[in-house]
Amino acid sequence: MRKGWTLLLACVMTMTIVSGCGSDNTDGNGSAATDLPNVVKNNASASAGAQKVKLVLWHYYEKDIEDFVKKFNESQDEVEVTPNFVPFSDFKKQLTIGLSAGNLPDLVLVDNSDVAAFAAMGLFEDITDKVNAWADKDQFFEGPMKSGIYEGKNYSLPFVSNCLGLFYNKELLDQAGVNPPQTWDELKTTAKVLTKDGVHGFATSLLKGEEGTFNFYPWLIAAGGSPEKLNSPEAASAVDFLSGLLEDGSMSKEVINIGMSDIEKQFAAGKVAMMVNGPWQTTSIEKDNPELDFGIALIPQGKQNASVLGGENIGMIQGKNKEAAWKFISWALSADSVRSYEEVSGAFPPRKDVAADKKYTEDPSLKVWMEQMESAMPRGPHAKWPELSTALSTAVQAVLTGAASTTDALAEAQATVDEIMK
Amino acid sequence: MSFQNIDVMTLNLPHKEFVGLGNYKGLFADPLLGTSLYNTLYYTVFSIAIQFVIGFMLALFFNKNFVLSKKVRGLILIPWMIPATITALVFKYMFSASGGIVDQILMDLHITGGPVEWLLHPVSAMWSLILTNSWIGVPFTMIMLLTGLTTIPSELYESASIDGASRWGKLRHITLPLLRPSIEAVLILGFISTFKVFDLVYVMTKGGPVDATETLSTLSYKLSFSEFNFSQGAAVANILFAILFVVSLAYLKLVKEDEVM
Repeated sequence: MRKGWTLLLACVMTMTIVSGCGSDNTDGNGSAATDLPNVVKNNASASAGAQKVKLVLWHYYEKDIEDFVKKFNESQDEVEVTPNFVPFSDFKKQLTIGLSAGNLPDLVLVDNSDVAAFAAMGLFEDITDKVNAWADKDQFFEGPMKSGIYEGKNYSLPFVSNCLGLFYNKELLDQAGVNPPQTWDELKTTAKVLTKDGVHGFATSLLKGEEGTFNFYPWLIAAGGSPEKLNSPEAASAVDFLSGLLEDGSMSKEVINIGMSDIEKQFAAGKVAMMVNGPWQTTSIEKDNPELDFGIALIPQGKQNASVLGGENIGMIQGKNKEAAWKFISWALSADSVRSYEEVSGAFPPRKDVAADKKYTEDPSLKVWMEQMESAMPRGPHAKWPELSTALSTAVQAVLTGAASTTDALAEAQATVDEIMK
Repeated sequence: MSFQNIDVMTLNLPHKEFVGLGNYKGLFADPLLGTSLYNTLYYTVFSIAIQFVIGFMLALFFNKNFVLSKKVRGLILIPWMIPATITALVFKYMFSASGGIVDQILMDLHITGGPVEWLLHPVSAMWSLILTNSWIGVPFTMIMLLTGLTTIPSELYESASIDGASRWGKLRHITLPLLRPSIEAVLILGFISTFKVFDLVYVMTKGGPVDATETLSTLSYKLSFSEFNFSQGAAVANILFAILFVVSLAYLKLVKEDEVM
């Protein structure tokens, strides 16, 4: 019998590993705990015994954010912000674990579609009064601004914005003697003409999950559809249009299993003539294939012009040092700071005054991007957006793989939506 | 956790609502749980079967003493030591529909007319995962069985030869019965490690196309960390645990019977 118990114990231990989050839990908390000194009195600081407030910022950016934060730290001597990198794939997990365990940073830069969910969880401080008292609040574009609002209250402000646009390979289009398509019909014919010799005319990632939803969103909105009413003829026409591109062979079936960066690689290699992708891919394309001559156009329009809004919002964690955190936020989002950061990062400003800079009105591709931004719609905002997103991308996949008819797939997705909305 | 109602709305409340079996009811009402369970079983049974057959043959082969047998045996272990995520990435490219080497070879040999597009169809995506998993699992099976084989005294085979036993007879009446504990261990351990598959699926298909390769562990992850439905995610993990627990108990019972024998 004793032997039996030992084995049993071994099995149970295996199981603890199986459940996964158990082991990750301790990991995350362990590193988080050491990183999070809240308010530390720093008497050694030169400014005559002044107390320097220390804040921690979580982000999943490149190194450029560190230089940015350094500028803030040097600009004044009351608040010191330390940026901490958390990988994007772990970001949501770390925040939710931190929330239940009480180990959180003071500031976070989060994907704008997650703001509502985190606000509902009680992660963010309500900053409505701060925002209302701020003279700059009207300078933000409507779409990005809306992404930071949940139930009428401001929980975060847009820091960086982006949207999807159409990239096209100039050489391939010239050879075929076609122009960048402006409507869905033109896209269909152009993509077909461009599809030959192992080149696919068009690609957009329709991966399962948020990435697929993100890329499907422009088509849904352009068709006049809405994520809240998926069993509409408009939503069906968007799905049917994309599955039509698959049937024509203009788009590889592989789009359901590859992400946006994989599509960028194929575009850079000249295997895809046109793709829908984000502005952050521009540098990657230039790096992967410096020879490639490509242009940017608006996503072909259906009933209306549409794109999807991406980007990060900056928010402060509830119950932390509100005054100091607001000091950083208002500095980071001032016209000058936004300008200096967009300069190095290549991201788009969420502010109208910065977007009015010559750089954005004169550079031909940036001009297109700015125009596309105007029709970029935020996803949600809804606390259960992630759930809705899964339902939507699964429905699109079901149609594209032929597992279900458009009507059935969308009706099923609608059932999930109804469940969430009730 | 699985008996409470924890999602985005309630995560930060001090007292979580107790919902009893509500989460389980919700899960059982969702066809996705059944699909995932079926997928996981399908994946496990076929992976184990393939691994076992190939592993067993290799074990018999390497049990013979020939030049290099020890060294090659060591080399064969390599697939098992590579982190699963890396294997998954490599196989994802090999099975890729545009320029993947598997499709290319099959077409060059004129076995298939066009690309199979392994990861893009429900059944072939599942088989891609099974084949990948077998590639990882074969060495493990082989080494476990090989260890078992070396414990069988060679005198038994010698006396059997004297009695005029055929090769097949020796395998059937000496090797298999004496190897039984090893075989059981391999099957159960294999079952446990295969049943909780996560990284392979997550990297290669993310549970797609549609839900064709959604397994219990990816479903649990998706519910908890993509949809923030923590209590249902925990409920799925518990179901996974319960199944493996039962399997372990069955194994213990088997071991006990062996001891009595």
